[in-house]
Amino acid sequence: MTEQIHFKGVSDMPMISISFGNMDWNKTGAWRSQRPFYEDKTPPCSAACPAGNDIVAFIRKITEGDLEGSWNVIKEENPFPGICGRVCFHPCEAKCNRGKYDESIGIHALERFVADHAPNLNEKMQKVTGVREGKIAIVGSGPAGLSCAYHLARLQYDVTVFESSSSTGGMLRMGIPSYRLPRDVLDQEISRIVALGVEFRTGIALGENLSLDGLRDYQAIFIASGAHRSRSLHIPGEKGKDVLSGLGLLKKINLAKKGKLGNKIAIIGGGNTAIDVARSVIRMGKKATILYRRSKEEMPAFEDEIVEAIEEGVKIRYLVNPVRIQQRDSLKRLECLRMKLGETDETGRRRPVPVPNSNFFIEADSVIIAAGEEIEASFLPKGVERKEGIILTRRDGSTGVKGIFAGGDLTSNQRTVAHAIGSGKKAALAMDCYLRGKDSEEAIQQILIGEGPSLSIFRYLHPEERKMNPHVVAFEELNMDYFEPSKRQRQSKVLAKKRIRGFEEVTSPLTEDRAVKEAERCFSCGTCNECENCYVFCPDISVVKTGEIFSHQVDYDFCKGCGICLSECPRGAISLREEAR
Amino acid sequence: MRKVITGNQAVAYGVILSRVDVISAYPITPQTTIVEELSELVASGRSKTIFLKVESEHSAMAALIGASTGGVRCFTATSSHGLAYMHEMLHWASGARLPIVLVNVNRAIGPPWNIWGDQSDSLSQRDTGWIQLYCENNQEVLDTILQAYRIAESVKLPVMVVLDAYVLSHTAEAVEIPTMEEVDQFLPPFCPEYLIDTQEPRAFSAIATPECFLEFRYKTQKAMEQVPEVARKVDDEFRSRFGRGYGAIERYGKEGAEIILMTSGTVTSTSRIVIRKLIGNGHSVAGIKIKRFRPFPSEEIHEEIQGAKKLVVIDRNLSAGVGGVFAQELRASLYSSEERPQVFGFISGLGGRDITPELIEEAVHHAAEHSRPEEEILWLGLKK
Repeated sequence: MTEQIHFKGVSDMPMISISFGNMDWNKTGAWRSQRPFYEDKTPPCSAACPAGNDIVAFIRKITEGDLEGSWNVIKEENPFPGICGRVCFHPCEAKCNRGKYDESIGIHALERFVADHAPNLNEKMQKVTGVREGKIAIVGSGPAGLSCAYHLARLQYDVTVFESSSSTGGMLRMGIPSYRLPRDVLDQEISRIVALGVEFRTGIALGENLSLDGLRDYQAIFIASGAHRSRSLHIPGEKGKDVLSGLGLLKKINLAKKGKLGNKIAIIGGGNTAIDVARSVIRMGKKATILYRRSKEEMPAFEDEIVEAIEEGVKIRYLVNPVRIQQRDSLKRLECLRMKLGETDETGRRRPVPVPNSNFFIEADSVIIAAGEEIEASFLPKGVERKEGIILTRRDGSTGVKGIFAGGDLTSNQRTVAHAIGSGKKAALAMDCYLRGKDSEEAIQQILIGEGPSLSIFRYLHPEERKMNPHVVAFEELNMDYFEPSKRQRQSKVLAKKRIRGFEEVTSPLTEDRAVKEAERCFSCGTCNECENCYVFCPDISVVKTGEIFSHQVDYDFCKGCGICLSECPRGAISLREEAR
Repeated sequence: MRKVITGNQAVAYGVILSRVDVISAYPITPQTTIVEELSELVASGRSKTIFLKVESEHSAMAALIGASTGGVRCFTATSSHGLAYMHEMLHWASGARLPIVLVNVNRAIGPPWNIWGDQSDSLSQRDTGWIQLYCENNQEVLDTILQAYRIAESVKLPVMVVLDAYVLSHTAEAVEIPTMEEVDQFLPPFCPEYLIDTQEPRAFSAIATPECFLEFRYKTQKAMEQVPEVARKVDDEFRSRFGRGYGAIERYGKEGAEIILMTSGTVTSTSRIVIRKLIGNGHSVAGIKIKRFRPFPSEEIHEEIQGAKKLVVIDRNLSAGVGGVFAQELRASLYSSEERPQVFGFISGLGGRDITPELIEEAVHHAAEHSRPEEEILWLGLKK
C-alpha cells in the first residue's frame, strides 16, 4: 500500500499534482469482467485450400525475406508448390478477404515465386531413415498418389508407387500441357519424393499386369488411378476416323509433342481439357474452335485459361450442340443444334435447351471430344462401393474393404490437382491411424482447417504448435483503418503471338521486390504478425513487451478488459471471453 | 540568412529551429498556412518532427498535453474559434505546468462570421494561465517563438505567441533567419522535471482536495511572477546573440511626453509613424508598445509613464460590458500608483477593419483636447 503524505504548506509541495510512489499494488485487473487473449483464427484462404496450405504463414515468411522458411512451411502440407503455384485454380484467392477491399492477394503467384527459389534448397530433402512403420502400396503416381507417398514416407513408412504409364506424374504429365506446367518443374518436384526413399515402379497397371492379390505383402493400399476414360457423347459418328478423345490427344501431345491432326479442329466441350486441347493444337499451327452447349457463364474451364485461349486465337462458339458427325470426303461435317438456356439444373447452372429446327453444319478436319472423363474401376474388389461414376469412400478415404483406401479423381467429381493433393494427404493420415489402431475420424476432427474438409498434417504431427481456432475470419471482423488500398502485383505473360510458336511457359514469375510487395499486402487474417497495435493502444500498458520481443502476453494484474486491443487489432487475432466469477 | 517570408512562414521557421518534437494542429483560417508549411516539412522528411493529425483543436491540445508530459517539446497553432474550442485544454496545460508553445493568429470570433483580425480570441483566454506575447512584425514572430520555449521551459508555463491576421500572417517581409547552430546554442534541449516513464510509473494530475488545491494555484501564480525577470534575461541573451531584443514593452517618441499612446500588435507600426509626425508638429507625445500581455507588465509600464498626464489605449478587442481589455488591465494596474494619469480607452479595428494613421491621430487629438475622457469607452472610426 501507499503511505499518505501530509504537506505542511506550499514549500514542501511538488509543482504539480503528482504521485511519488506508484499504484503497482493496486491490481486494477480485478475490475475486469472480460478477458482479452491472443488467439489465432483461421484465415479464409487456408480454409478454402483443398491441399490445406498454411498460406498466411508462408506469405509472412516472404515478407521477412525468408524464402527457405516459406518453402519449409509450404512443404509441411504440400510437396508441390511449383505445380500448385502454376496450375491450381486458386480457390484461396476467391475467398481472400482482401478481395472485398481492393484485390485479392496473388497467392498462386507467391507460391510459385517460393517454388522457383526452391531448387537450390533441394538437397534439404533427404531420405527418411530410421525404423520403418510398415509397407504401403500406392496405385497411381498422379498428384493424389504422390502426395500420399510423400506424407507416408515422412511418417516412416516404406512406400511403393505403381504407375501404369512409363513415366510418373499421372494427369500432371499427361493431361496438363507444358506451357502451363514445364516438365522440368514437374520432374524437380517428383524427384523430391524419390529423394525421400519412395520406390516407383512404372509400367505396372492394376488389373493388367498387377492384381490386388499381388499386393498382399503391403499392409495398406491407396488407389488413386484417376479418371482416364473419355466420356462418350452418344451421337452418331463419334467412333469414326479422325474423331479423337480430348485426353487421348493431350497424352500424345504431352508425351511426344505430336498427334496426327488435320488443319481445322473442332473441340466439343467446355472444360479445362477442351481448353488445353485447343491451346495445344494452336501451338501446333492448327485452327481451333471450341463448341460448347451452354454460355460463357456456365463454362467449367478456369476463367484465366479461357481468356488466354481467346488471346491465342481459339474460337469459342457458345450454345452449340453437335448431334451428328458425318464424314464427307476428307472433311468432317458436324450437324449442330443451336441451344438456349432454360431452367436451372441440379448443378446450379441453366440447362441448355435445343432451339427447334435450328440445325446447321460446321466443317472440320478433326473432331476432338472433350466432354469429361470417367473412371476405370473394374479391377476393384466387390466390397468397394461406387455411385454416380465415382468410388465411395468415408471421409478418411477408406473404402468398404479393410486396408484399401482411395482418392484423387477416382473418388471425387472435383477433379483438380489441389483436391487430389488434399485427398492423398488425408489418406496418408488415415492409413497411419489405421495401422496404429487409432480412430482416424477423431484425428481428422482435431486437425481440420476451419470446418474442413481440408486438414493440416502439420498439426497432426505437432499438435502443440501454431494452434488455430477453427473460426474463419470474415472481412467484417478486420479493422480496415490500418490498411491502404494497393494494387495486386501481377505476373507478366509472354505475348500471345509469341507464345503460340511453341510450348514454352506462358507466365513469368514475380520479381523478388514485386513478390515482397504482394506478400506485404496480406491482411494476415486471424494471425498475429506482431504489428504491435495492441501494445501501442493498450491504455493500461498491459500488453507485455520485453525489450524488442513481443510476447503475446497480457498482464492480467492490470488489464481492465476494455477491449481496445481487440478493436484496434487489424486482423482479428485477439479474442475476448467473459471472466469466470 | 535573410529571406522574404510571411508571418506564418516565420512561425514555421521558428518551430523547426526550436527542434520541436511533436506538432499537433488543426487547420483554420488564417492559421492554415502554418500547418501546411509544417506538415510539408515533416512529410518531405526535412524535419524529423512528429506531426499528429487530429480532428479538432481540443484534441490537438490534448495530444500535446500527453506528449509534453512525456517530456518532449511541443507546438500547435490556431485562430479564433479554434482557440475557443481549445479552452478547456488551455487550462489543463497551464495547470499541469507544461511548457507548450502555441501560436495564435488573431482573428475575430463570430457571429457575424468574420475571418479578419482582432484580438478577441486570444484575450478571451487571458485567465487560462498562459503567458501571452504579441508581435509587431515577422522578424519578431520568429524571434519570439525561440524566446518562448526558453521562457516556458524555465518557468514551466505554456506560452501563446500572437500575431495579427493577414497583416502579418499573409504578408511577406524580409526576415533574418538564424542558423540551426546559433539557435541550438541559445535554446538547449528540453529537460522536464517530471515526465511519464513506464519504468517508473506515477500518477499525474490526480485529484487535489480542498486542503491543497489553493496551494497548487498559488504556485502557478508564483511562476507567473517569475516571468518578468526570466523573460528579461532571455531577451538580453537573445539580444547579445542575435542583435535583436524586444522587452516586455517598448517606449518610443518624446521623453517626458504628456500623452502616451499605448498599442499592441501591428497597430504599433502605424502608431510609430503617427507619433513621429505629431512630434514634428510640436506635440509632446510618445508611444508604448505592449508586447507581453500576460503576466501584465505593470512595473515596466509604471516606469515608462512617469510624468505622463494622459494614456491613450487603442484596443482591437472588446470585452462587452467593460470595454477594451488592455485599457481595463492598465486601469487596474494604475490603481495602487501614486500617479494615476487619465486613461482614454478606444475601441477600434474590430473584425479586421484598418486602424489608419488618421484614426490614431484622431485618438491622440481627442486626448489632447479633453482633460478627461467623456465616456468610459471611446469608439474610434464608428460609423454613426
